[in-house]
Amino acid sequence: MQKPIATTRSMAGLPTGRLAVWWVIASEIVIFGGLLVSYIMHRLGHPEWGGYASHTNTWAGAFNTLVLLSSSLSAVLAHQAAERGDGKKAALLLRLTCLGGATFLGVKALEWSHEIRQGFVLSTNGFWSFYYTAAGLHALHVIAGMIIMLIVSRDASKGRELQRVELIGIYWHFVDIVWIFLFPLLYIAK
Amino acid sequence: MTTHENTAAHADHGEHAHPNYIKVWGILVVLLVVSVCGPMLGIQAVTIITAFGIAVVKAYLVAKNFMHLNIERRFVVYLLLTMLAFMLLLFGGVAPDVMRHSGRNWENIAAKAEIERALAKASGVAEKKPAEPATPQASSAADNYKSVCAMCHGEKGEGNGVAALSMTPKPANFADPAFWQTRDKAHVEKVIREGGPAVGKSPLMAPFGARFNAQEISALADYLMTFKK
Repeated sequence: MQKPIATTRSMAGLPTGRLAVWWVIASEIVIFGGLLVSYIMHRLGHPEWGGYASHTNTWAGAFNTLVLLSSSLSAVLAHQAAERGDGKKAALLLRLTCLGGATFLGVKALEWSHEIRQGFVLSTNGFWSFYYTAAGLHALHVIAGMIIMLIVSRDASKGRELQRVELIGIYWHFVDIVWIFLFPLLYIAK
Repeated sequence: MTTHENTAAHADHGEHAHPNYIKVWGILVVLLVVSVCGPMLGIQAVTIITAFGIAVVKAYLVAKNFMHLNIERRFVVYLLLTMLAFMLLLFGGVAPDVMRHSGRNWENIAAKAEIERALAKASGVAEKKPAEPATPQASSAADNYKSVCAMCHGEKGEGNGVAALSMTPKPANFADPAFWQTRDKAHVEKVIREGGPAVGKSPLMAPFGARFNAQEISALADYLMTFKK
């Protein structure tokens, strides 16, 4: 199978694939940043939002933070294995990372079901709008990351395209960092 | 460029030194525990430092050790920092208008009413005061009346405000049923909007069409009718 030119080429001192990932992340910073900055300014202007935030489950948020931090560890260990040429181990670790993503989404589903049953929905008030929008957009990124990771791990297990293991890892760490900020903003500040 | 420099500059192609990832993960977990426990003390300063200060440290550790930004090309770091700077710019430009609910020549009535309603509900005050006007418009009409009209028309709309003493003719008495026999809501709204001369009355009744919007004028007219005896 012939490799795409982009995979074999370097640009600005970086492999094009990695340059592209950084480019994606730069735009993601503005997407999530814009959302979070809007949330912060509304939150500071609305003293009553603290009361709404007290309905979020800190322990579920903390557990999910632990899950994502751990999945970042397996993603970076997959990158290490890929660099050493061990595609099988890299694929295994990427699938483990996916399992972390699935756990994260499972906890999120339980949390949201509980909150929706209590009557807190997207249109309840400004706080819940931001809550579902920010966490929802983040969850979509988790889902996208998992799909890409499964594709990359399929190639990696055959020892192919190992450089992609690092690329999906960088994206996954970024999604982890977004959650690192979402957690105190939506769960801790009450 | 020497071979050594060349290798360092192109670290992206080859294997690089890996930090002890498990140790980094351990530090991140300890920081997570601190960020959850900090707010339990209930001290606001501690909450802010442990929740948000630690988030920044955690993000730094992940970016440095897991994303390898410390050995990445410098321009990548600058690219990402530029994006973050844009976010600060957004906050600096927009936050003053969002965080404050009034300023010179503007007022965010909806936001103020929502805060008041939510805080009252949270403290259980709303249930105890059924006599309060139900809609935010009605409550702001009372405020508008007090701050603009009461000076002449009096607190109870009887045309005997402090400024009325020196006025000829006297301001309208909204408590007088006879006043309402010849006037409907549209007429009252017109006078508020365009002033006394618009209906052939005293110029001492100034026009307020520039100060209040149509909704506020309508609410004020409704409010005036509540004075009728």
